[in-house]
Amino acid sequence: MSEQRRQILEMLAEGKITADEAERLINAVEREQPESSLGIGARSKAKPKYLRVVLNSADGSGGQDRINVQVPLQLLRAGVRLTSLIPPRAITLANEELDKSGFPIDLNELKPQQLEELIDHLDEVIVDIDDADTSIRVFCE
Amino acid sequence: MIPQLVTVRRRRADGRWRRLFIPVVPVALLLSPLLLLAVVGGVVACFMFDVRPLGALRGIGRVLWALPGTRFEFEEGRTALHVRIR
Repeated sequence: MSEQRRQILEMLAEGKITADEAERLINAVEREQPESSLGIGARSKAKPKYLRVVLNSADGSGGQDRINVQVPLQLLRAGVRLTSLIPPRAITLANEELDKSGFPIDLNELKPQQLEELIDHLDEVIVDIDDADTSIRVFCE
Repeated sequence: MIPQLVTVRRRRADGRWRRLFIPVVPVALLLSPLLLLAVVGGVVACFMFDVRPLGALRGIGRVLWALPGTRFEFEEGRTALHVRIR
């Protein structure tokens, strides 16, 4: 039970407000709560816009190699949608070659919608690899 | 929005930076005759490889529209290459 609701019930028990007033107050509190909880959720989980790949590596001469790539997630989505243009003949050929190489994957089963879902859930993916000389981070922001 | 400006920054081994700003729209206008040829070539290629030309055009448009915000930065020792699309 929320604190506000408890206070309303206490006021009702003490006779400070009538049952109708208490009902109106409780309804008002209930209307207010989902809105505020939604607001907090939206603020704490802003939708990421970019996929970042950051690699730092010490080269042999004491210098530092660095790669920093920022790709908009929208670009990944656009790229994924391009897969729908691949002609069926090419997919059949790719399937055959994959099968020959020992990867019996049917690319026909891979739908663009599934790939889009994959991109939608990328925001929860963080890859963090730390080595003595190298660190790699893949994340969304 | 389509890309407006591509910035290429290169650091030479002597530590000096060279910057190149490419305004996409004016350059595209300047190269429009070549772009037209490329589009015709693309349509022919689509028919050859059994790809829907309109779908391909839409797909390329989507990729172009999504490009702003892309950034590549490579640094190796004293040399570096930064590419930004805005």
